[in-house]
Amino acid sequence: METIMLFLDRYLILLYRMTGMPLLDYTIGTFLLAMGTVVIGELSISLAFRFNRKYIDAANNELVAKNNLSMEAMQCGDDASYRACNTLANDAFGKVFFSMIALSAAALWPIFFALAWMQHRFFGIEFPLPVTVPLFGESVGFVFTYFLLYILARILFKQVKPVLPYFRNMQNMLMTYDGGGERMITIADIMAKQKSDPAASGPL
Amino acid sequence: MKRIHGIFVGIAMVSVLAAAYTPVFAAQEQGASPVVMLAKRTARKPPVLGDTLGLSGKLGEAIAQTPTGKGKGKIDTRGEKGFAGIPGAPKINYIIAILWAVWVGWIFSTIGAFGGIMAGVGHITIFGLGDYAKSFKNTNPTLNKLLTDTIRVSNQFLVGLAAMISSINFYKQKRIILPLGIALGLGSILGAWLIPELTAGKINLKEYIGYFGLAVFVIGAFIFYETTPKGQAGKKKAKAAAEAFQKAVKEKGVESAQGVHITHFGLKHVKFTFFGTEFSFSPWLPVLGGFFIAAIASFLGIGGGFLYVPFMTSVVGLPMFLVAGTSAVTVFIGMIVSIFSYVVIKGTFVSWSFIGVELIGIFIGAMIGPRTQKYIPDIWLKRVFVVLALYVGLRYFSKGFFGVSWVPPY
Repeated sequence: METIMLFLDRYLILLYRMTGMPLLDYTIGTFLLAMGTVVIGELSISLAFRFNRKYIDAANNELVAKNNLSMEAMQCGDDASYRACNTLANDAFGKVFFSMIALSAAALWPIFFALAWMQHRFFGIEFPLPVTVPLFGESVGFVFTYFLLYILARILFKQVKPVLPYFRNMQNMLMTYDGGGERMITIADIMAKQKSDPAASGPL
Repeated sequence: MKRIHGIFVGIAMVSVLAAAYTPVFAAQEQGASPVVMLAKRTARKPPVLGDTLGLSGKLGEAIAQTPTGKGKGKIDTRGEKGFAGIPGAPKINYIIAILWAVWVGWIFSTIGAFGGIMAGVGHITIFGLGDYAKSFKNTNPTLNKLLTDTIRVSNQFLVGLAAMISSINFYKQKRIILPLGIALGLGSILGAWLIPELTAGKINLKEYIGYFGLAVFVIGAFIFYETTPKGQAGKKKAKAAAEAFQKAVKEKGVESAQGVHITHFGLKHVKFTFFGTEFSFSPWLPVLGGFFIAAIASFLGIGGGFLYVPFMTSVVGLPMFLVAGTSAVTVFIGMIVSIFSYVVIKGTFVSWSFIGVELIGIFIGAMIGPRTQKYIPDIWLKRVFVVLALYVGLRYFSKGFFGVSWVPPY
């Protein structure tokens, strides 16, 4: 791993040599590094989604079907059926939940390699804060600065995603993705329905 | 008692060592026999490294205080660099790390909660970090405890990630009940903050693996219950009831009954009806439950979701629908607070690349999981893991609390 880090170091450090001003260079470099991890993560998740779509669809459809059934039971005031359907819905959710872990791992793994490189490069360097912040103290390390800039990079990437060729198509696919099955009913839906038709239900 | 005894022994040893350098002791030494002198000379504290090896923070400080040389509990500066760049530390084989993480990911996608336990087993046993941390028990207890914290926080990263994704999904599905989440979250923040505050740098590996073994037993018991006729009957009953309801809906359609109605909201009780069913709970119960479960989760570096759901359904008496989403958020809050406390406040070392490699493996494993699941019946898979939990639990429990493993390898 150290060999890989040393190899990457030659190229990644170039991101930190833009202006010659140390603090500004660090901010720009870390932002670009964070943006790189966002892009690689998004690419990975899109590939994972394509690769496992069949299984994601099946698990999602089962979850939605069982959940909707439990919501319908709730609407009918059938407590026993509601509890039974809800138990099955939770089992189905377990499967979806763990497939989501796989997808999240696909999106987030680059972060840890970026942090590993930063640990190799910037470990021990502290950035003084203008005021003493409870729990943080008077300074923060590279982890804090990275996560701050990662959040910014993610927000920015979300804005530019619709105009980027590959990601645009992927976003369209995800936005229209419904798993090919029925739509999930939520408590909010039932409540909204009752508000619009109070005669059909009891007090809210 | 043992600790007090240890303190006395420590004070006695320090006194003897300090005395060894005083002129009075030196004068007495002149008259002692060569054997006694040799024994005293060998009892002197071995030279310490005196160098942080480029590692800053508490880990660097602890390394600088570690005796140098070859053998157990020492750092040989000429040794090959291993975990955290420490010479002589176990060198993580990244191929094995990926393969193990594939196994963890596969379990996550088939059995669920047991994946977190297997991630812990990897950190403690497979990658040799447990034995390495343990080797410093006598020579540098601080390093032993700091490496134990590293294992704890590495586990938490993997579990926290899972909870994060789950929380986002529940939020989208509007399955998070805010008052309950706040009550649970308050308790869990306190528990997740207090445990690193009280125990970071203080728990040695032996104690940690003992408690970890206990947690494996509890999870094993949960899985075992699901394989018993009672557990199976519960599932079958739920399935039959759901099918019957589905049939009724097809025949009669959905007829709305009552709505959501909060009947009482106070410090002692919260009462509400959900479409005709009344629920009541004391708001203090989730706070207390959140506190204790987050404390256990933070201490062991495991999720806690497997404890929140039964607690909320059995103790507080809430329906699963309200509980599952809220518990995921609580696990997430607890994990974030705990990771933050360990990494930012307590300065625990994290091997980022190691976690990155594990994530790749988990991702691959979780992709394979659904593809292989259809070939193995769910109940047999659970039975295999019950046996595995019994073995892992017994091994860690006995090694942690009794110093020897009751199951092979001894």
